[in-house]
Amino acid sequence: MMCSAGEQPDPHGAGDGGVSHAAFASLLEDSVEELYENAPCGYLSTLMDGTVAKINETLLTWLDLRREEVVGRMRFSDLLSVGGKLYHETHFAPLLRMQGEISGIALEMRQSGGGRIPVLVSSAVKHGTTGEPLLIRTTVFDARDRRAYEEELLRGRKVAEEARRRAEADRARLQHALAVLQQSLLPDTLPAIPGVEAATHYHTASPDQLGGDFYDVFPVDGKRFGFFLGDVCGKGPEAAAVTSLTRYTLRAAAVHDPDPVATLTTLNKVLHERYTGSGDPRFCTAVFGTLEPDAATGRMRVHLASGGHPPALVVRADGTVDSLHTPGGLLVGVLPAARFVTTTAVLAPGDTLLLYTDGLTEARTGSDRTSLFGEEALRGFVAAHAGRAAKDLVEALINLLEGFGDGLDDDTALLALGIPADRTAPDGR
Amino acid sequence: MSPLKIIRRDAETGPVLEVVGDLDFVHAPELREHISRLVVPPGRRLVLDLAGLEFCDSSGITALIAAHSHAQAARAEVVLVAVPAHTRRILHMVGLDQIFTLHPDSDKATRS
Repeated sequence: MMCSAGEQPDPHGAGDGGVSHAAFASLLEDSVEELYENAPCGYLSTLMDGTVAKINETLLTWLDLRREEVVGRMRFSDLLSVGGKLYHETHFAPLLRMQGEISGIALEMRQSGGGRIPVLVSSAVKHGTTGEPLLIRTTVFDARDRRAYEEELLRGRKVAEEARRRAEADRARLQHALAVLQQSLLPDTLPAIPGVEAATHYHTASPDQLGGDFYDVFPVDGKRFGFFLGDVCGKGPEAAAVTSLTRYTLRAAAVHDPDPVATLTTLNKVLHERYTGSGDPRFCTAVFGTLEPDAATGRMRVHLASGGHPPALVVRADGTVDSLHTPGGLLVGVLPAARFVTTTAVLAPGDTLLLYTDGLTEARTGSDRTSLFGEEALRGFVAAHAGRAAKDLVEALINLLEGFGDGLDDDTALLALGIPADRTAPDGR
Repeated sequence: MSPLKIIRRDAETGPVLEVVGDLDFVHAPELREHISRLVVPPGRRLVLDLAGLEFCDSSGITALIAAHSHAQAARAEVVLVAVPAHTRRILHMVGLDQIFTLHPDSDKATRS
């Protein structure tokens, strides 16, 4: 309410007495009879056996009946639909007899044309001076609007449920598609390498996100096998596209020349040409290597090169752990011409070569984001599992990853290539 | 997580960006955006002062590489100044310490 300064608002609200007087006078002109007949609700009085003794105009209009058809001829229950009649017999009438009154019961009334009207019914028994029941007074409220509202609610809920069901189905389909694509980024099975046991693991940080880590093992010629493992910078479908490009480029490059530096150089050229100047530079870290098993000695020569990737570890049977450093190996795809550094190792029975992505070493081990698991702790962990089969080492690492809980928020790939210890080399080690 | 603050000044060697806070997935694009709009005259030097850098993940490294590409396209050079130990470790791991010039302090890096 707006008042100018200093003016007191009228405490009774209505300032103009003339209008309310006129309205009040017009109310008084309404007779009680008129009010009864044309009230905004239905009125009905019946004898105790239900025979209609009195009914107002409003209800007659709703039901499309004439007074003479109803009064003395019909019972209240005759005005109800079949369902309404049944409910009246089983619940309404007994409760009314017991309690003397009943209110707000939803029933359905029958129109003479066959239509039905949802109503809310209240009834009370009128007693005589000696307490004997005389008649039943009933009021009927039109509930069509309310029913429409309820139906609308119900319909709305059905639509929402349908939308939710569809969203869930879409989500399931999308997750399936993501899982299939993710699988296409990783090999289904690894080839059997004579005298070598291979084990892998891929931890997906989020089921909704395609990963950026990759690995593969494959034969390159009669005697050598190629392997690689790496990590594409970034997340999501864009990173997955790079992962796919990377994996197939390395496979194809190895067919041409399996030399580790040659394959990484090809990958570098492909990534650099594809993504430089796109405004969205993409790189990866990768280790590419070859294995050359020597059936005579049971040993295996490893020749590998790395571009910006954490050093592979050689877990010796006796518990020592060698890091295969390749200092200076550059992140792949950054420069048009990159330098990659190679290193070699020989694996004897009981030794395992472990490649991993930095999801493992960068897993948070404290509340602080700078307390990370780290390479030193990893070396200690694998040393404690020295001499075990490759799959046992990977199992132990999977348990370790699970133990990180929320601290592990990046994809992690593991690839272990081990020489079973029971194939003891003739010259020992 | 500390937000990222980028303070720009001009030295006689060229533009200097002081990078304070986090270069992570959320904030690193701000630096990339900033650098893409930066004009580095040919033969000059873009100095990134990282003394106030608190955190840098692979997105941050990507932003630094973008700075390198941007400067190279302009025939200019990039110098990283006062790189914190954790970031220096990552740069070394991915071989980027070979392509960036690293300087311990900003005074020397901005003197031609």
